[in-house]
Amino acid sequence: MSLEQLLAGRPDLWRGRAAPAAAPTGVPTGYPALDAVLSWGGWPPASLSEVLDARPEGALGLVLPALVRLSHGPRWLLLVDPPLPPFAPALAARGLDLARLVVVTTSGETAWAAEQGLRSGACSAVAIWGGEAPWRGAALRRLQLAAQTGGALGLLFRGEAAFRDPSPAALRLRVQRGATGLEVSILKQRGGRPVGVLRLPRSGS
Amino acid sequence: MHWLAIYLPALPLEVYPEALASPLPLAVGQDPRGERVLLCNAVAEGRGVRAGLAAGAALALVADLRILPRRPEAEQAALERLAAWCIRFTPQVSLAPPRALVLDVAASLRLFGGAEALLTSVGAGVAGLGYERTCCLAPTPGGALTLAGQGHGGIIAGRAALRSALAALPVTALGFDRRAHDDLAAMGLRRVADLLRLPRDGLAQRFGQGLVAKLCRLLGDEPDPRPAFVPPAHYAGELELPAEVPEAGALVFACRRLIEELCGYLLGLQAGVRRLEWRLGHADLPHTAFTLGTSTEGRDPGAWLAHLRERLGRLILPAPVRTVALTAGEVRPLPPGPLDLFPELAAALAPDPGLLDRLRSRLGEEAVRGLQALPDHRPERAWRWCLPGEACSGRGRADRPLWLLPEPQPLEVRGQRPWYAGPLDLGGERERIETGWWDGFEVARDYFIATTGSGERLWVYRECHGRRGWFLHGLFG
Repeated sequence: MSLEQLLAGRPDLWRGRAAPAAAPTGVPTGYPALDAVLSWGGWPPASLSEVLDARPEGALGLVLPALVRLSHGPRWLLLVDPPLPPFAPALAARGLDLARLVVVTTSGETAWAAEQGLRSGACSAVAIWGGEAPWRGAALRRLQLAAQTGGALGLLFRGEAAFRDPSPAALRLRVQRGATGLEVSILKQRGGRPVGVLRLPRSGS
Repeated sequence: MHWLAIYLPALPLEVYPEALASPLPLAVGQDPRGERVLLCNAVAEGRGVRAGLAAGAALALVADLRILPRRPEAEQAALERLAAWCIRFTPQVSLAPPRALVLDVAASLRLFGGAEALLTSVGAGVAGLGYERTCCLAPTPGGALTLAGQGHGGIIAGRAALRSALAALPVTALGFDRRAHDDLAAMGLRRVADLLRLPRDGLAQRFGQGLVAKLCRLLGDEPDPRPAFVPPAHYAGELELPAEVPEAGALVFACRRLIEELCGYLLGLQAGVRRLEWRLGHADLPHTAFTLGTSTEGRDPGAWLAHLRERLGRLILPAPVRTVALTAGEVRPLPPGPLDLFPELAAALAPDPGLLDRLRSRLGEEAVRGLQALPDHRPERAWRWCLPGEACSGRGRADRPLWLLPEPQPLEVRGQRPWYAGPLDLGGERERIETGWWDGFEVARDYFIATTGSGERLWVYRECHGRRGWFLHGLFG
């Protein structure tokens, strides 16, 4: 019997990097490499995740596989204040059920609409583009609480400048572009450790 | 048989919205000319005005008394609205103009938890709509109406009890014609008890069959069928405000009464509405109108009120409001409730329509939309906005960008190559999209998937004719 087996038999032993003892409950991201390093085995369920990207529209491809999966459930998929209208044929081609998709365009009430969507329990995921307005800690905490209450996956897209601000989100990712695809680094994850640059292949086309 | 009579003693005064709360003495005349006082408000009563007083005498008592003409149409309309509301208790509601309703509640007693509970909930409901009322439950409709009209509320359990309750009333309470009243008085018959003691055949000889038949119906010796009130196919309610309201937020209270009435009407019809049309009347400007809509038929007053609050919060009034009118859109029957084995489970799985309604009422109808993919080769025509949940799943194309710019953006050209913060690498593949003569949107473009120096991928095209300019049209996420 090896040491590894002995240790694995002790559920009361905390081994630093080990994922929680329960089976992974996250929403698979569609990128096996990313799932492997996330402590939920995917996007953290019923909490807020932040995606920091210099371009507001850049990271939709990263979250799209998860949205596609969720769109086949009975609940709505809310996009709050996307920077441009998403192109419906491309979404349909990737398997997204457009009948579940709702695009909300507010004029300066992004936080209110996002919170309503997260809290209601009627949405499986709410993707939020903050525009130019800076997010305050209190507003983020409200979103995080709303996501917990409503059991929704909150995805907040922010600029790279937010990198240094503290945030109550369960997961923070930073996205950059490399020659072969996206380069993702995990800045923070609840119950796990930050992970350096992870190269993900391009999905879709 | 059990009949519930609702008598509205102050209805002629209540159709004047300002009358009840007014600090000034007010009275309503008995006829359009207003020769005698029919009713007066508490202020006038406190200063000695009584019902039946001649107008001159009343004015002598209270010099600043305002005598209002009676409004029979408004009273009738109020009575009909109340009848529509009462349909929640029984389908058999009859009008007894000018000031009463009578409900056949024989079949409703068990559902509403007995006579006592039913009487309480009817009384409380009518009072909640802002009417003074006397409710009486009796074995015959005539008996119930007569007793309620005389201010006797409560429950009369059987025909014997009805007989003794009626016996104590003066004969004038029975509502015979004037000549019969004079004759009865001349014969020394003052109470109903005196009349009941007399033999029926003698009465018939003296006063005719009509009086005896009425007496028989009153006591339940003969049937007394009443025509049922048929609610109108549309609802339209209007309320005059007691004072001009300058602020939209303060209208919620007035609107609540209309919503309650509408929801009572819908409950009776087992129906719901999706749209409420509101009209706010001003003194001399054209009215302000707005619509409240939901995605499913509703008749829950609380939900409508919540929407209304959001909407009124955004409303800017051009002038103070005098009247509020509510028209219900198309009234549709509600779908029957789900008959699932686990209704909670089904409710948890269904998307909540309330969320989208909340978003709509605060952000506007246009702010909440779904996306639909259309089978067209031109990117601009390959999608459109639709109502959420309406899109059928199209096939789409995988080689399209995730974002499409609303307008193609012209690109700079440097050294014969398109430039977007650096030279673009066009890749090898070219896709030609052209024609569209059938709807006047003709295109002829060569599309490329270009890569920038930083690894971003763009959807760019070059016009095939004319200036042959380069444009950015989409972004791959």
